[in-house]
Amino acid sequence: MKTRPTLRIALLGAVTLGVSTLALHETSILRASAHAQDAAPAPSQSVQPASAAQASPLVQRGEYLARAADCVACHTAPGGKAYAGGLPFKLPFGTMYATNITADRETGIGSWSDDDFVNAVRKGVGKGGKHLYPSMPYTSYTAMSRDDALAIKAYLFSLPAVRQPNRANHLAFPFNQRWSMWFWNLVFLKDRRFQPDPALSAEENRGAYLATALGHCGECHTPRNLAFAMKANRQFAGAELQGWRAWNITPDKRFGVGGWSDAQLADYLAAGHANGRGSAAGPMGEAVENSLQYLTPQDTAALVAYLRKIPAQPGEAGTEVDLQPAPVLASSAWAPGAGDTGGALGKHIFEGACASCHQWNGQGQQTPYAALLGSQAVNDPTGLNVVQVMLHGAHMRVRGQTVFMPVFGRGYSDGELAAVANYVVSHFGGKPGRVTPEAVAKARTAG
Amino acid sequence: MFTLNVNGQSHDVDVPPDMPLLWVLRDVVGLTGTKFGCGVAQCGACTVHVAGQAMRSCVLPVSALGSRPVTTVEAVGQTPAGQKVQQAWLEIEVVQCGYCQSGQVMSAAALLTHTPDPTDADIDAAMSGNICRCGTYARIREAIKLAATGRTTAMPTVPIAAPAGPGAQS
Repeated sequence: MKTRPTLRIALLGAVTLGVSTLALHETSILRASAHAQDAAPAPSQSVQPASAAQASPLVQRGEYLARAADCVACHTAPGGKAYAGGLPFKLPFGTMYATNITADRETGIGSWSDDDFVNAVRKGVGKGGKHLYPSMPYTSYTAMSRDDALAIKAYLFSLPAVRQPNRANHLAFPFNQRWSMWFWNLVFLKDRRFQPDPALSAEENRGAYLATALGHCGECHTPRNLAFAMKANRQFAGAELQGWRAWNITPDKRFGVGGWSDAQLADYLAAGHANGRGSAAGPMGEAVENSLQYLTPQDTAALVAYLRKIPAQPGEAGTEVDLQPAPVLASSAWAPGAGDTGGALGKHIFEGACASCHQWNGQGQQTPYAALLGSQAVNDPTGLNVVQVMLHGAHMRVRGQTVFMPVFGRGYSDGELAAVANYVVSHFGGKPGRVTPEAVAKARTAG
Repeated sequence: MFTLNVNGQSHDVDVPPDMPLLWVLRDVVGLTGTKFGCGVAQCGACTVHVAGQAMRSCVLPVSALGSRPVTTVEAVGQTPAGQKVQQAWLEIEVVQCGYCQSGQVMSAAALLTHTPDPTDADIDAAMSGNICRCGTYARIREAIKLAATGRTTAMPTVPIAAPAGPGAQS
């Protein structure tokens, strides 16, 4: 198919600038996640606008939707006031800061009209025509209904206005050229509202809306093209961002979540753990903590129903989840099998530092969240997420309890952590790990 | 309010659900034999038995206990394995400063309950999570073997080089 010349030029410009912005986007999402991890009092504690009894139905609906869209994850700085912005996005070519979206008239969005807000959320164009960078996931939010966007606005405006000036971005040329987003948007922003798919049930369509327009799952789970737009034909096939792997969440039985039961999927989304499938940590742990745990059981079920309906996508051979790896079958809770081979150093460290919680049979004790058997992370030969969790630990506040794993990054060398990661992949994934000390060193700086 | 079965006795405790069992045992029930070391399941000083399994009580939320019975170092001597372990500990004189030892005894008793005659590898797997800053590891290993078999074996020692030359024999 031939492309019209004008569009080609636009495309060229968009790709040139898009490539620059793509890195921007990638880094920003995960930066935001990494920072939000040690930050941010949970919205439930910090953002009580008014008691539920006082809040209007519109505000209550807006609060629910703001959580479903996980606005707080990026728009709150570590230790800062909720929605007041300031979260730094440290990029190779500069630093950007999330903005204040409280109702303060001077420093926040208090003077924005309904149309200003809706345009920012759905078109990436702020008040006065200023283009947002696509670190704001407006290519997903564009599907949001006007009513829902305005409910979120009503909720934000019901919160205390916080006077906190936005910090100026420090970006090198050409990344500081906001107008360039016009080209990027021309090519990659499909300015369209959500349209129910007549082939899907009402529940599945609700799940589709939650997963795309609100939850923006694809921003992490869908691989991106050269200009860092999501590849529509590989939706939810999994992607690597900033040292973490977002898993394949399509119904593929070997590479995706097709083998998970409905209950496992629902538990994972609502509580960050599914028996026999491991636990969420890192950016997904934050998504559970800030957003997914607040969904109603009906909405969680809708998400599950929708995840069953998206096209299955294959993955890379060798990353299949092994639910019955031989080394685990040979182990008891308290000791590995006699023929356990996986590297003496890795095993030595595992038995001292890891086994008392994770156990040799991968069931976990003290908390079910420590169960490793069946998790995608221990079945990934590159051990990306295993390394990240060891380096940075885990911390998730969910359902009234704190789930945590200590930080091991400061106590162990790159070589030791690589050895442990390879042991964990071989023991709990039943496949050789390929983690190198160099990869661990790189992961230390990626978060 | 939770009802705990600790050392065969029932205790009603009014504590937050995410309070670690260690603090319930020490501060509410009043059993202070179980020690706080690191608070993150990395040293083993807080080890207790939950339904016979060695667990780190510092990271076990009391709400996760359910109806499972808890045994602490105060009562482990009433179990067959615990009794043998304590006798062996006395005979070998394992203890130096003692802070980690209640955790060591609990891990060793759990090991002998499910593995009555452990190999060195079994002992490594079960005991590596219990840290002793006095370095009593060689005596711990020896005491576990004594408890398991009733026999002592030669403990590994560091040979001291005798000065060479005339007079060394005299």
